[in-house]
Amino acid sequence: MIEGDLTTRELAEIQNTAELMAREWAPCRDGCPVHADVRTYLQFIAEGDWRASIDVVREQLPFAAVCGRVCHHPCEENCRRRDVDEKVAIRELKRFVAETQGADGCTVNKAPVQDKARVAVVGAGPAGMSAALELAKLGYQPTVFEKADVAGGIPATTIPRYRLPLEVVRIDVDWICAHGVEVVTGVEIGKDKTIPQLREEGFAAVVVATGLANSRGLPIPNADHENVYLVLDFLQAISAGNAPKIGNTVLVIGGGNVAMDAARSAVRLGAGTVRAMCLENEEEMPAWSWEQEEARDEGVEFLHRRGPVEIVVDGGKIVGVKARKVTRVFNEQKKFSPEYDDADVIDVACDTVVFAIGQMADLGFIEGSELAADRGRLSCNTATHETSVSGVFACGEIVTPPGSVVEACASGRRCAAAVDQFLSGESIHIDDTTPPVIDTIPEATADKVLKVERVRIPTDPAAKRKTNFEQFEHTLDEAAALREARRCMGCGGGAEVIVDKCAACLTCLRVCPFDIPVVTDVARIESDQCQACGICIAECPANAIVPRSRAVDELVTRTKAALETISDGQKIVAYIGGFRRTADEWRGRSEPIPGVAEVYLASTSRLGVPELLHALEKGAAGVVVVSCPDGTDRYPTTAARTKKRVEQTRELLGEIGLSPEKVQLAEVADKGRDAIREAICEAVVKITEE
Amino acid sequence: MIVAERKEMDEILEMLAPYKKVLVLACGSCVTVCLTGGEKQAEELATMLNLAARAKGLDIQADFDCITRQCDREFIDNLNKQPGDYDAVLSIACGVGVGFMSEQFPDTPILPGLNTTFYGANVADGVWAEYCHGCGDCVLAWTGGICPIARCSKSLINGSCGGTDKGHCEVDPDMDCAWLKIYQRLESLGRLDELRKLRPPKDWSKDRGKGVRRLTHTEMVAVEEEDAS
Repeated sequence: MIEGDLTTRELAEIQNTAELMAREWAPCRDGCPVHADVRTYLQFIAEGDWRASIDVVREQLPFAAVCGRVCHHPCEENCRRRDVDEKVAIRELKRFVAETQGADGCTVNKAPVQDKARVAVVGAGPAGMSAALELAKLGYQPTVFEKADVAGGIPATTIPRYRLPLEVVRIDVDWICAHGVEVVTGVEIGKDKTIPQLREEGFAAVVVATGLANSRGLPIPNADHENVYLVLDFLQAISAGNAPKIGNTVLVIGGGNVAMDAARSAVRLGAGTVRAMCLENEEEMPAWSWEQEEARDEGVEFLHRRGPVEIVVDGGKIVGVKARKVTRVFNEQKKFSPEYDDADVIDVACDTVVFAIGQMADLGFIEGSELAADRGRLSCNTATHETSVSGVFACGEIVTPPGSVVEACASGRRCAAAVDQFLSGESIHIDDTTPPVIDTIPEATADKVLKVERVRIPTDPAAKRKTNFEQFEHTLDEAAALREARRCMGCGGGAEVIVDKCAACLTCLRVCPFDIPVVTDVARIESDQCQACGICIAECPANAIVPRSRAVDELVTRTKAALETISDGQKIVAYIGGFRRTADEWRGRSEPIPGVAEVYLASTSRLGVPELLHALEKGAAGVVVVSCPDGTDRYPTTAARTKKRVEQTRELLGEIGLSPEKVQLAEVADKGRDAIREAICEAVVKITEE
Repeated sequence: MIVAERKEMDEILEMLAPYKKVLVLACGSCVTVCLTGGEKQAEELATMLNLAARAKGLDIQADFDCITRQCDREFIDNLNKQPGDYDAVLSIACGVGVGFMSEQFPDTPILPGLNTTFYGANVADGVWAEYCHGCGDCVLAWTGGICPIARCSKSLINGSCGGTDKGHCEVDPDMDCAWLKIYQRLESLGRLDELRKLRPPKDWSKDRGKGVRRLTHTEMVAVEEEDAS
């Protein structure tokens, strides 16, 4: 990794590589547990290329479709756009591409040969499947053993269908399996087969990824009543289509996300009153704020700072729960250490109770093996994923704190790397270092960024959604997805100064519409401010500024390729500012204009005089620049800059005896396809007449 | 800084007529700063030459390259393309670069793509103006920092001529009369007495009166390498 200033020689080493693009990470990527390349996949969506986008997502995140629905989206929490207007709706965009493409619409990067060792994975949840996928890609032969009759783990068996339909889980599972991952369902390791038996069968290594499969209950009087449920059993029965019998008044004990799932499911099963009772107050509750809010909208009532002491049964039926006051939940060290006031006890009326107070590991897989456990947890070196038995590894919630799907994926991927090193005879060392992260956007820069309202997710009203288990949040439509993806500021993908070429001429400073460059010894363009508009790159007389997020000669290459699509006759290139253009236009699916190769750009801000001349040099008879008029492009001053560059190019052509009419400008990129088509056709006439 | 402007394309094309393979060589110094001779301009010019050649049926094929300064030997090592591989080099450095490169590459014609115009400064975005003539005998100490040689059309040394008109120059009414500016500046500084002092005649011999000028820092003249034995 080259740190600090970049010189011509160093640029030559890393040009067109991920290293240039990843010199610094945007906080969205850094915050993602699998470090998905958010900026790149959003850029592909902005360009209408769903397949390229989902392929980028899946490079790091196998459970892309599942995460599109249920991820706690730390990417979004870290989005720097929050300081401009609102965060980009990254999860919804991921959902859009993952579900639009399905399993078949993603590229499968299967290993050319899968002849390395066989590896058994125990548990087909996000961690196990992620580990298996990575191993398969490395050429190993993984087999995943799953006790349930469906692969996918908690997302497939437990998360309520209104949040995550099973067919969405299948997208990810099918795509993973297409890489040569074998899944055997209905086999419980420790019961049907032991880990030592797996080793005897020829599995060179075993990965345990069984998660936290058991719910915790409380040893209070009448906890064994038939109308008292443990949350995983409760949710799994609903998902399997065998909804448990509940009464009219349900009390869910717990304040986490799973408790919210249980309460909201109880509402959907028809309970008249559903209460969620927890030790914590509203701020302390571990459930995500939006989960609480949605539950409340659906009629779930909250009872804070109460702990159950007894389930009261009368005539064989539950009539209520005695609950005492909680005086504190956490101690001074912020550790869980509740204290109660036993003098303050209330009766909470209910006829059904669901315990949703946490989960724990089911250590049944230990049966018949030498694996060590400590206080209900499998012993494991978290740095190397090694358990107490050589060749047996562990990942996911069985070794990490309880987390989300994406965290389980991260753990699984990391574990696969450890297994690979082990099976390759290396000592296990996983390098977790990541590139530096760019800082928040300064207010002065944020003020100059075009404000675009965040997309509103189409959501069914509470009255409608609480009656069924149908999904209530809907996938974005194409127009909304394009608009939202184009809100991404491309953080960290902007200008990189090649210091030995910079003449400190001040041009960048003079043309930057965001007033970002400063010139000290050479131009300094701070990445926490740069908006990646490319205006300085197009204007720099020394060619001393390059874009991090695309190849220097990308436009020339694309132009050449576009011209080659026209078989014969006069060829004309149209460069179109694509900020407001449709996916069909970007992807060349709109009705073509005869003899015109259309090249779409995020903005014409980056289209310089050399590029216009190069287009003619590469064989175009003329160039049409279709730009957004003043105030409608994503970057300020683009309209004026584009106009000047077109005028300059026309003058230069005149000087060498070519007709200036070869280069035409049409400021209609904010209008509809018909207007653009008409403007291009008019320009073609002018070019042809010259 | 040295300011230059590009020659007319007709002149450039005429210069290059005898040659096929041409290298447009930019200079990453003064002429880059004044947006005339940087790598980007070399890229544009090479492309224009290729376009012109095609349009006019000429057999010219142009590439481009750039080095930090064409007026220092050591930067030649940084060339990506070798002048010797070309029939001619079109240098878009100032005249210094063209001349110096001609010495360095005696077998290759080095042709000027620019007209070197003046020593100037940036006065507005995209605008440069002349501030110094390089006369070799600076008088700015007693002219309020305004050069009568560079900024007076006639390079007068003893005050304005009869062609001054309400602060403007008879050569071009958009041009300020430098001597009025000098007077006003000295007045505002309270130094009008500078104009009353009798001074010896300006030493014009320093302005090429003795031929090619040369600067030698004796302390920096290369030392003999010691004999290690």
